[in-house]
Amino acid sequence: MAINPYDTPRGKFRTRAETTRRQFLLLMGTLASTGAVIFGSVEVLKFMFPAATGDAPQQFKTTFTFDELTGGVDGSGKAKAGATVRSITADRVSVVVDDAGIYAVYLICTHLGCTPNYVPNVTSGSGVLDAVAAARGDRTGSEQIPNGWACPCHGSRYFIDSTNFYGPAPRPMDWVSISVAPDNFFVVDRGNIVAYRQPGDNTAPQWRLLLKTKKDNGKTLGV
Amino acid sequence: MSAPPKEGNPVRTFVDEVWGSIFRHGLPTTDKVAARTALTNFFLHIHPVRVKKSAIRVSYTLCLGGLSFFLFILLTITGLFLMFYYIPSVDQAYQNIKDLQFVATFGLVIRNMHRWAAHGMVITVWLHMARVFYQGAYKPPRQFNWAIGTLLLLTTLLLSFSGYLLPWDQLAVWAITVGTNMAKYAPLAGPYTRYLLLGGRQVAQGALIRFYVLHVIALPLIGFLLMVVHFWRTRKDGFTGGL
Repeated sequence: MAINPYDTPRGKFRTRAETTRRQFLLLMGTLASTGAVIFGSVEVLKFMFPAATGDAPQQFKTTFTFDELTGGVDGSGKAKAGATVRSITADRVSVVVDDAGIYAVYLICTHLGCTPNYVPNVTSGSGVLDAVAAARGDRTGSEQIPNGWACPCHGSRYFIDSTNFYGPAPRPMDWVSISVAPDNFFVVDRGNIVAYRQPGDNTAPQWRLLLKTKKDNGKTLGV
Repeated sequence: MSAPPKEGNPVRTFVDEVWGSIFRHGLPTTDKVAARTALTNFFLHIHPVRVKKSAIRVSYTLCLGGLSFFLFILLTITGLFLMFYYIPSVDQAYQNIKDLQFVATFGLVIRNMHRWAAHGMVITVWLHMARVFYQGAYKPPRQFNWAIGTLLLLTTLLLSFSGYLLPWDQLAVWAITVGTNMAKYAPLAGPYTRYLLLGGRQVAQGALIRFYVLHVIALPLIGFLLMVVHFWRTRKDGFTGGL
């Protein structure tokens, strides 16, 4: 066995080196293994988070043109076809035409993310009318539009301006940007939210794609 | 013990040797041989060599843990058969399930066995936990096994949840949409958990393959390891009175 200078009985090195070689190697080994385990864990965790996903692109083009949706624009700047709703369920967007213009609602239920269906009358069902009265009792005429969306999963209901009024949904659905491409088809950008409302915020968003100019009015809400 | 080989009959000697190498004991006709049988057989050593007569009264525990284990075995076997026909691809999964039901011979039986055993296992595991709770069987020295049991319950529920997506029908997709959105509500880690589970932001191909891998490999393996520990601790901690 080789003589360890740190183990001399004279104690010359005793005070300087209280750690033996074996202890030192053990310490180094432990640190190296710990480091390897930590690095390995981080690596595995990072591996499990995909750097690229196969998700559908945020932007997509509609299969119908501006004229097909609106039926053309009359002299007063309104759609000849009148108020229209076209739901593109696969892409989870509804395109709505009203007197003020066009807007797109992103059909992700704010409760747990199902796709609400467009229904001509959201007031059907027991208890729903009371909720409508509570939410819209003070409004009159054209603002009491009966159409909107109903979520098939847990029964949340939304008015046509995407305001929730019944069921477990905590807040209105978001509006996303819609524009007209040079070839007259619509481009919907689901990554660009133009109206985001917190729970309890029932303000009707004013954002519209204007029928006369085919440009949006830029009146975003909550973004 | 195998009988001593007879002189002058090589075939008989060979058969005896092979038989004796597999079964290290004769027929368990006496208590002594029965005890040795249980000790030396891999599949039987999970049982105690000796139990009190009062301990094997079925009405005491209704054998709910044993039923859960039986259903787990059944699910493993039927699941293995289903894997021969099922491809975890969004283009093929739904059609594969339809083929299993209407084309594969006895495919409907296998699929329904898997489905009902899965529902049954969730029920028996819950009831097993309730039984242990109401009998106070979680008290010392069995606290550790109770903790293992809660993990097994969680594993069972996750297996049930992950299997739900695989048929890739409307029910599956929206159930997983709802389930993973619930996970998103968890503070801080919520959105990351959802992204990790789905392998993306939508319930799509990435989610299907992840749930498939979890369902057929990761979770059964975790469940099996936990079960090994669970049964081992049951043996070590002794029986409360029932089997």
